[in-house]
Parts: sequence; C-alpha cells; structure tokens
Amino acid sequence: MKSNREKLRDLLLEVLLLSDEEFSFDLNREQVETWDSLAVVAIAAGVDETFGYHFTPDEAVGITAVHDIIKVLEREGISFADA
Amino acid sequence: MANDVVVMQESEIRSNFRVLDTRWRSAETFAILPSNLPVTEEWLDDALHHLPQEFYTKHFLLLTSGSTGQPKLVVANRERAELLAEVIHRLQDGEATRETICCLPLSYSYSFVNQWLWSRILERRLILTDGFMRPGELKVALDAACDAMICMVGAQVPLLRSFFGDRTFPGIIRLHFAGGRFPQEQLDPLRQIFPNAKIFNNYGCAEAMPRLTIRRAEDADVAANIGRPVSGVELKTGEEDQLLFRSPFRAVGFIENSGFRAIADDEWVETGDLGRAADNGMWTLLGRKSEVFKRFGEKISLPAIEAVVQRVWHGELALYRETDSMGENGHIMVVAPHPEKRQLKAIMMELRRDFSRPHWPLRVESLERLPRLPNDKVDALALKERKDVIVHWSQRY
Repeated sequence: MKSNREKLRDLLLEVLLLSDEEFSFDLNREQVETWDSLAVVAIAAGVDETFGYHFTPDEAVGITAVHDIIKVLEREGISFADA
Repeated sequence: MANDVVVMQESEIRSNFRVLDTRWRSAETFAILPSNLPVTEEWLDDALHHLPQEFYTKHFLLLTSGSTGQPKLVVANRERAELLAEVIHRLQDGEATRETICCLPLSYSYSFVNQWLWSRILERRLILTDGFMRPGELKVALDAACDAMICMVGAQVPLLRSFFGDRTFPGIIRLHFAGGRFPQEQLDPLRQIFPNAKIFNNYGCAEAMPRLTIRRAEDADVAANIGRPVSGVELKTGEEDQLLFRSPFRAVGFIENSGFRAIADDEWVETGDLGRAADNGMWTLLGRKSEVFKRFGEKISLPAIEAVVQRVWHGELALYRETDSMGENGHIMVVAPHPEKRQLKAIMMELRRDFSRPHWPLRVESLERLPRLPNDKVDALALKERKDVIVHWSQRY
C-alpha cells in the first residue's frame, strides 16, 4: 500500500514528466519547465482521482509548489505525515 | 462488369497474375480492387457508371481509400503510367536490377506502377509474395533474391525488423520507400538487413499515379525531405503551405461519391500534404493536411512528433486525432507491442525534451499489434475502434 506522499510523488512524476532524480517535495513551479497552466489542470484532475478531493478554482490557481498541494489536502484531512 | 469496365480483384490477379498482362494488352479499361473491398458492390457499380465514355479504353482504375476511409476510384492513363515507370527506372538507377519482389498489394498504385508495370516494360522478373501476411514465404523470396528491387512502405519497417532483424539479404540491390513517412531513422538497421541496397525515398499520391519526387536516402538527413520533382513534375505551395502539383503522368480524373471529376492539364492538384521548398530544388513535407493542426494556439505537427518518438521507439507507432474534454484538437499515440515501463519513460522524456505540453498526446496507448490495411499502412479507422488498448499515460483532462 502506497503512502500519500508516494501517491502524490507518482502523480507529479507522471503529469510533469519528471525523472526520479529531478523530483523533490520542495519543488515549485519556477523550477519545473513542464509545470504550466495545463499541468495545473492535470494535477487537479489527478488529485481528484487519487485523493478524492476536487480543488476549488482559487485553490488550483494558488498552487505554485508541491507543498501547496500538500497544505490543501492536509486541510481536508488527508495526512502526509506517513513518510 | 459495369460500363464495359472489367473489374479484377487482387485475389484474382494473385491466383493468375498473367491475367493482368492480358488486360494491359487489350484496349478495354479495367479496374483493380483490393481483396477486402472497402466499398459496397452498389457503391462500386454506381461509381463505374460515372466513368465518362472517353475513358472506356486505354485507361485503368485503382481504388484508393487509405487511412482516411473515403473511397475514390482514380482513373489513370496507361501510356502516362508506362512513361512514368521508365522515368522512375532511370532516376533510381534501375538498370542493374533483374527482378522485383512484391510485398505490397498490386492494387496499390505504388506497387502497381513501380513494380508490376516496371517489370512488364523493362522485362524484369516479378515475384509476388503476400508480404508480412506470410513472413516465411517473404523470407524465401528475399533469400533467393538476385539483383532484386523491393518496394516497401515505412510502416513495414517495424515488421521487417521484428521478423528479419537478425538476417541479411544481399540479393536486394534497390530498396524503395513510399506511401508514408520515410524511415530515415532506421537506415542503419535497414543497411544491415540489405547491405547491398541503394535506398530511395519516393513521394507521391494516387492522383499523381503515383510519383512526384524521388531522393536517395543519403541526400538528406531528415525523413521529411522528399527530394526533387521527377522530370516534368512541378510543385508549388498554395494557401497555408498546401502542397500542389502538376504532372504529365497524373491521373486523368477520379470518381468519388459525388461522381467523376476530371483533372485539367493546367490544374494544380492538391497532394493532401503540406510542404515547403527546401535547398537545392528539394522539397520538405510538413505533414498531411489533416496531421497539422492548432492546439491551444500552438501548431502541432504529428509527423514531427512521430520523428521525435522514433528516436527512442522502434516498434510500431501510430498517431490519430481526437478532441479533448475542453474541445481542443489533440492526438492519441498508439504503440505496439506493449512497451516496458522504461521504454514508455524514454518516449515521454523525448517528448518533454523537444515539445511543450500541447504537443504531447492526450493518451499513450498500446496494443500487441496495430491493425493494418492490405498495403500494411496502419488502419486508422480500425485503430480508433479498438477497445483492447492499454492506456499507459494520459493528460488527465
């Protein structure tokens, strides 16, 4: 059973087409060329599918780093303290 | 029979291909159709009734539908086709060849003119095979080849490599490609399989019956370069880079659902491709008209994407268009056989390296084998209907 951190990591690797080495939970949009506006839509769809939470438009726009995704999901009771 | 036009199916010709020779010698116009008729008998009967009387003799008709699925009977003049076969022979330095091995249907204008008609006019031996439908039989023909010429489509290269990748066929001295993207990236493995072959890229379309340009493989380093026009052929670009031609060898007209449509001598005919003049009189293809489109304001070229993927993927590959959930044009990528995880990663990383997200596929799917038309091109219509695909990656919207 994958942890929530692993699930989120897998999702971002897939959506942003990152290699394992390129990924870190400290990444932000500025550091990832493939993190464009369409990637935000894809991340939102992936989060919905993986964690069952649908970002509000404001939340989606406010996501500029991996930590922002975790913050929103933790506020919804999805724990990332499992790593 | 309709309107005195003799109709022959591929299977009939294959059971006795001398019948074709007899038909060519007689004055009556005839039609050659694929074995698996992509049209109804009613459609065919109706289409043949549209043929103007002036073409009841000294012409031949080939049915083309290709991956677009729109059937069309192309009406060709025999004398022009014979002249073109001779021109192709000279341009491709064909004098040294003694025979040709067919691995494509004869109802396909490419193999009909470049191989059957060529062998008839130049008095060379013609060896018919069922191509990759019966790879064992094809291998026997390739093993026995003696100063032979073979015509293939680029889509056959993955099949060739999968069946015969570890073999060599020194008896093949000419290898021609047409009918789709030239396999420029696969020249090294092709040269290993056919160590004595001069390789040529042929470009044309059914309305050209069929050749417009030719180039030696070595004369350019990109697949999209189609070389220079054959003597007498003129190319130009029209609106939005549409590639147009005039040719003394072209078909005299074609019959579609709407009836017969003549091609005038001075008419610029659409090839269905987009193109651009390159250096030294050569031309470059930008893609099929239907393969270049806008997505989120960016110009997407499916052939360009295909070229990038083929740097790392040597299996079968097909791209087809689909609209996404936002109503934007997009495309689906299908590979075969099913890729390993590392192969998929390599494909995606190559896409990321060369393209921004709008160019990436909406989905990457796989099948054990791609569905094929009788001429071994990918059957795009059948591909879209397949329910047994495995989805490996998607844009998620």
